[in-house]
Amino acid sequence: MDIGTTITFFVLAIASTASAIGVIAFKNAVNSALSMILTLVFLAMFYLQLNAMFIAIVQILIYAGAIMVLFLFVVTMLAPDQGDVGNRDPMVWQRGVATTLGIILVGALSYLIYTTFTISQQTKATGANSLSQVATKQGDIQAFGQALFHGFVFPFEVTSLLIVIAILGALIFGRRA
Amino acid sequence: MPLSAYLIMSAILFTIGTIGVLVRRNPLIIFMSIELMLNAVNLSFVAFSHFLDSADGQMFVFIVLTVAAAEVVVGLAIIVSIFRTRRNIDVDEMNVLRG
Repeated sequence: MDIGTTITFFVLAIASTASAIGVIAFKNAVNSALSMILTLVFLAMFYLQLNAMFIAIVQILIYAGAIMVLFLFVVTMLAPDQGDVGNRDPMVWQRGVATTLGIILVGALSYLIYTTFTISQQTKATGANSLSQVATKQGDIQAFGQALFHGFVFPFEVTSLLIVIAILGALIFGRRA
Repeated sequence: MPLSAYLIMSAILFTIGTIGVLVRRNPLIIFMSIELMLNAVNLSFVAFSHFLDSADGQMFVFIVLTVAAAEVVVGLAIIVSIFRTRRNIDVDEMNVLRG
C-alpha cells in the first residue's frame, strides 16, 4: 500500500466527515446546502481514487450541480432566515439520544466490517467481466458503457419511466396552487 | 487502502445522515440528510466495484442517482406545496394529512 494513497484517503475522510457534520449542524439551511455540496465533491474524489471516473464526473454534474442547485432554490424561496427551530426546540433531549444511538450504530457497523469482511480471490470478476482489464484495453468510460448496455439495459430503460413519473408528480404539485 | 476502510467511511457518513434525520426539524435539512445516506451507500457500492473488479457496483450507483434525483424533485415539490398552504415548514407541525 503506497503512502500517497493512504494520506489522500485520510485527508479526504476527515474533510468529508467534517463537511457532513456541517450539513446537520449549521443553523442556517443555506450553509447546510453549501456544506452538502462540499461533501459531494469530496465523495467524487473518493470515487476518483477508486478508479470510477464516470461516476465521479456524474456525481459532480448531477448531484453537486443540478440537485443541489434545486435545493438552494427551494431553501432561499422558503425564507431561510426563520431557519431551524433550534432555539425553541421543545425536545432537546432528542439530540443526546440521537447522538448516543448514532455512536452505537457507527461503532457496531465498524466493528462488524472490521472483523468479518474479507474478499476472497474467487469472488473477483475475471476475463471479459473484469472491469480493470476492459478499462485498460478500451478506457474507463467504454468499460462502464459496455457493462451498462450489456447486462443492465432493462433497468436503464425503466429509469426513463421513473423520471417521467417524477416529472408528472412535480407538475401536478406545482399546478395545484 | 483496504476495502474495510472505505466501508467504515461509508458507515460514518450514513450515521451522520441518520442523526440528521432524527435531530433536525427543517424538512429541507432532513432531505439533505437522506441524500447524505444515499451517498454513503453509493460510496460502498463504488468501493465494492473496485475491489471485486466488477462494473456491477457502478451500475447500481447510476440507478441510485436517478432514484435520488426523482425523489428530490417530488419531495421538494411536496414541501413547496405544504409551504404554500401552511406558511410553515416545521415537521413537528405537520401532523395532519389534510390540507
